[in-house]
Amino acid sequence: MAEVHVIGQIMGASGFSESSLFCKWGIHTGAAWKLLSGMREGQTQVDTPQIGDMAYWSHPIDLHFATKGLQGWPRLHLQVWSQDSFGRCQLAGYGFCHVPSSPGTHQLACPTWRPLGSWREQLARAFVGGGPQLLHGDTIYSGADRYRLHTAAGGTVHLEIGLLLRHFDRYGVEC
Amino acid sequence: MAAASPTVFLLMVNGQVESAQFPEYDDLYCKYCFVYGQDWAPTAGLEEGISQITSKSQDVRQALVWNFPIDVTFKSTNPYGWPQIVLSVYGPDVFGNDVVRGYGAVHVPFSPGRHKRTIPMFVPESTSKLQKFTSWFTGRRPEYTDPKVVAQGEGREGNHPEAEIPKAAWVCLCPNQPG
Repeated sequence: MAEVHVIGQIMGASGFSESSLFCKWGIHTGAAWKLLSGMREGQTQVDTPQIGDMAYWSHPIDLHFATKGLQGWPRLHLQVWSQDSFGRCQLAGYGFCHVPSSPGTHQLACPTWRPLGSWREQLARAFVGGGPQLLHGDTIYSGADRYRLHTAAGGTVHLEIGLLLRHFDRYGVEC
Repeated sequence: MAAASPTVFLLMVNGQVESAQFPEYDDLYCKYCFVYGQDWAPTAGLEEGISQITSKSQDVRQALVWNFPIDVTFKSTNPYGWPQIVLSVYGPDVFGNDVVRGYGAVHVPFSPGRHKRTIPMFVPESTSKLQKFTSWFTGRRPEYTDPKVVAQGEGREGNHPEAEIPKAAWVCLCPNQPG
């Protein structure tokens, strides 16, 4: 079986209007992929920037996959939330990006979006907080049913992902 | 350097903790250590160190320079658990106590060659205002009992660190992977 190592960090996020952000992340793969070691999902700490507007998490990612096919190449999906001083959490953005497919270190900037509701919900969000969220997390990384949504842009999540591939040449895949 | 089996490889890391920028603090020293998975073991060099105490330069750069050498070689059979370097920076507070000014971690680069990494640092923050005041007053700030926690992904949800954007920079003349 061919093996893929995804080793890197979720460095941080910038461009969000809220401070005190944390990120819930996960990796989704197809049926031919098997996770040999590492945590498939996680949550970063809450970070409040003291200087500048970029929130830094430096959250390590270390995953070891074995696969029988290229279909379902891993996708990293992210949910960025903000936490206020009372401990309440509010959604700041959803985003996803594919794990790169060439070996080496890559800098990724993942844009995010959040669902807008009706004008009443937007007004309520501005005053009281809250706002609509997705019921099913897989809409973040799949294209089906997206046409139903009306969304607004959030900030950008910065990642540094390194990729090591093994045994792909045995299966005729050049990398 | 003889390999026990064909799949053992070596990773040699040379470099330095070059300098840092912390606009608000002075007279800092740093400690580094490596965090790695179960399949990894250091074979040569030091995997931990404490630097000298440095003061800010008087010029516009306001740089805190350590130029602190890192020299270690690891051996492993598996890239999982690739080593991370964890840096902790400490300095005196207003009352003279030694408090932590930042933690940061980064993976050792994968590709051979020369790399420069700038690491953002963060400190854990107390959640209540009263705790923040008492920790400032007594000098007993929240600190990690084991800085290696910074390199792990699990269990971070309860943390609430504040990022000091000022960063430590380090240069790694990287690895050779013989064997």
